[in-house]
Amino acid sequence: MSETQLSSQQAPLPSHGSFQQAPLPSHGSFQQAPLPLDVAIIGGGFAGIGTAIRLKQKRIENLAIFERGSAPGGTWRDNTYPGAACDIPSRLYSYSFAPNPDWSHTYSGSAEILKYIERMVDDFALRPMLRFGHNVTGVHWDEASSLWEVTFDDHPSVRARSVVMASGPLANVSFPGIRGLDTYEGHKIHSARWDHEFDFTGKKVAVIGTGASGVQIVPELVKVAQSVKVFQRTPGWALPRTNLTTRRTTKDLYRKFPAAQSIARKAWFWGHESVALGVVWNSPLTRVVEAVGKLHLRRQVRDPWLRRQLTPDFRAGCKRLLMTSEFYPALQRDNCTLVTWPIARLAPKGIRTVEGIEHQADVIVFATGFDVSKTGTPVPITGRDGRVLADEWSSGAKAYKSISVAGYPNMYFTFGPNSGPGHSSALVYMEAQIDYLVDAISHAIARNSVLEVRADKQSEYNTDLQRRLQRTTWNSGCSSWYLTEDGFNATMFPGFASQYVGQLKSVNYDDYTVTEYRARVTAARAATV
Amino acid sequence: MAFDFDEMLVKIKDKQWALADIDWDAPGAETIGPELWTKLKPFMSDLMWIENVGARGFAAMAKKAPTDTLKEIYTYFHAEEQKHANAELALMRRWGMLDGDEIPQPNVNVKLVIDWLDKYSDQTSLAVLGTVIPMLEVALDGALVKFIVDEIDDPVCQEVFKKINSDESRHLAVDFQVIELLGHATMRKILVETVGAWMNPSLIIGTLRYIPLLNKMRDNIVAMGVDEERLYTAMRRFKKVGERSEFPKRLPMYRFISWHSGVVINRAHPYHKFADALVRATAKYPKKLLRPQPTWSKELTYEPVA
Repeated sequence: MSETQLSSQQAPLPSHGSFQQAPLPSHGSFQQAPLPLDVAIIGGGFAGIGTAIRLKQKRIENLAIFERGSAPGGTWRDNTYPGAACDIPSRLYSYSFAPNPDWSHTYSGSAEILKYIERMVDDFALRPMLRFGHNVTGVHWDEASSLWEVTFDDHPSVRARSVVMASGPLANVSFPGIRGLDTYEGHKIHSARWDHEFDFTGKKVAVIGTGASGVQIVPELVKVAQSVKVFQRTPGWALPRTNLTTRRTTKDLYRKFPAAQSIARKAWFWGHESVALGVVWNSPLTRVVEAVGKLHLRRQVRDPWLRRQLTPDFRAGCKRLLMTSEFYPALQRDNCTLVTWPIARLAPKGIRTVEGIEHQADVIVFATGFDVSKTGTPVPITGRDGRVLADEWSSGAKAYKSISVAGYPNMYFTFGPNSGPGHSSALVYMEAQIDYLVDAISHAIARNSVLEVRADKQSEYNTDLQRRLQRTTWNSGCSSWYLTEDGFNATMFPGFASQYVGQLKSVNYDDYTVTEYRARVTAARAATV
Repeated sequence: MAFDFDEMLVKIKDKQWALADIDWDAPGAETIGPELWTKLKPFMSDLMWIENVGARGFAAMAKKAPTDTLKEIYTYFHAEEQKHANAELALMRRWGMLDGDEIPQPNVNVKLVIDWLDKYSDQTSLAVLGTVIPMLEVALDGALVKFIVDEIDDPVCQEVFKKINSDESRHLAVDFQVIELLGHATMRKILVETVGAWMNPSLIIGTLRYIPLLNKMRDNIVAMGVDEERLYTAMRRFKKVGERSEFPKRLPMYRFISWHSGVVINRAHPYHKFADALVRATAKYPKKLLRPQPTWSKELTYEPVA
């Protein structure tokens, strides 16, 4: 799967815990009403964990991470399908403030990445802050107290001065809207909710979808299944991927000399930056990327018709590039067939395609991605004067530098609108977001203030952003999950990662309206001093 | 009223059927007498291969469709033509016309067209494919399918061709709408595209393969005992439907195809000396010169379930 996909956190509804209220802050013990949190973090995946670490490092510890699942890790906890791995090198797909010298391969598998997240939770002592089984049902701004109220479906609500929405853009999954979906009597598995109890050995398997997850699942399934039929709607550009084992000496080097690992990370960073020239913008270098893709295809697939079926007819980069050297060989195994006929419907025993044939299968694997929220919000968010963010985003999500939204003070988004990388690590972007919002939060706490981005600054930013997006591959004509149905791009950042990181280097408080924090607790605290 | 491609796409999706919907072992196969059986076998084989050729044509057109909706429609048509070929193969099997599991080979004229499509169709413009494919659909598919419906009593065959006819009516509606839209382009664009297309030797080669295909089909139809007037009626229909508005006439390619259809139905025209000579020449076409049959033409199956 793509690393963009894997930067979110979500889970099926968990069993409910017995958490009563957010922890009381360290500096007081009021009997009447629980003191508000300094920060409520929604989501216990990479973004939520990273935010908590950086806040702690700034000594902001009156915080809680609300996670609807029963363990941290977000997407990496949930995406455990065979072959699940990140398509960005681990050296770059990790936080610079939590380097890991022990990555086993250039590109790590999901289990190893999850272990990395769990290790961060333990190393930075975050467990007391994690509130599992907390499914957020709404986040509402209370003007009188200058506090956010976070409500849950089965727990008392909590109040917080700041909220960090770290729930991820790709947090929910569902089966695609194929006709007759419910009539199929075999087993259905979604790639992001893998059923480890199901034994694929000797089974007739159908896989729907050939995106980032599909190309990783198929090479594993063909090893055990009797037959695998891969149903493809649109082929993607695939580039070769060499996954080398990290030598012990390299690990030792990184452990003894962390600077060496930092250099390796920078090398990967700038290597990916150079790819942006062909992947982000529709440029002559895009043709170079396509030529590499075609060469890769030609080298691995001999049959011209199969090559044609696997050749995309959109610009490279317009949809997520696939990094795989295993997919094409897997497709050509004797027990594997690529089906490019459109799916007409599901029938009780299999998939009926428009060429009139019913492809029977014991199990259907849906590698069909996520429900991407580009025009709404994952949970209802009500800001100043009762404004509803989902309404404001109904024609496409907009924010200031992807992090702040006018009318929603002291609220910050990780992986917010137009923060998606097409060529680099989502964690590079995420780290920049986290450092930015942590600065803003600590500024607000230190000055007892409320920060709200100015509407005019947000508007200016988005006007410029959309203008720049016009020249990108994503807006070059293909339809992808990056765009709304109307073709609005609320997902990707039109530039280098270094540009994105650069714009978040420091918070320009002139772009924010700063007002006084009016919570009752402030007065109470003042009285006790 | 403006043609609504989105609405058409929904209709196409709503009207899907599968080979598994048909009881291939139902009674009625015995209605095909030995004499009809002998003549019907090559006829069905030709028909099946024409469907397959049409399918490949739509696959090429999908690559050039100017909108996502039309692209999806052509993708469906590609698959539906394949479905028709599969269903016709299944009928042949029902009537005991297959030698074991072996799929009948296309005749040399079809092979030449398959070879051309495989090599050149993806590089051929929508203006060319968008006029030739409808002609093939009207002239060959339309005429032959109509003949089958009129002459074969087997109820399973009737059921199958009722479905095929229904699909074809949507294909033709879209085909002619696209011809009309192509005719809306500026004359400069039309001329540039036309000159560009004919400057390409592939179109000349394609034409030289298309001409004997039509005449060969006519010969086969006549051999079947079909009144060739059926074919001519269908070709007249191409002209009549295409010229309901002024725009198709602006397309030189449409005019050429239309003129050609007029020539084909005029037995007295000297064209036939040339076309019939090509039929004879292609019959002697060295098989060695034909490239291996492409994979896409090996995907036909009579099995409703795979």
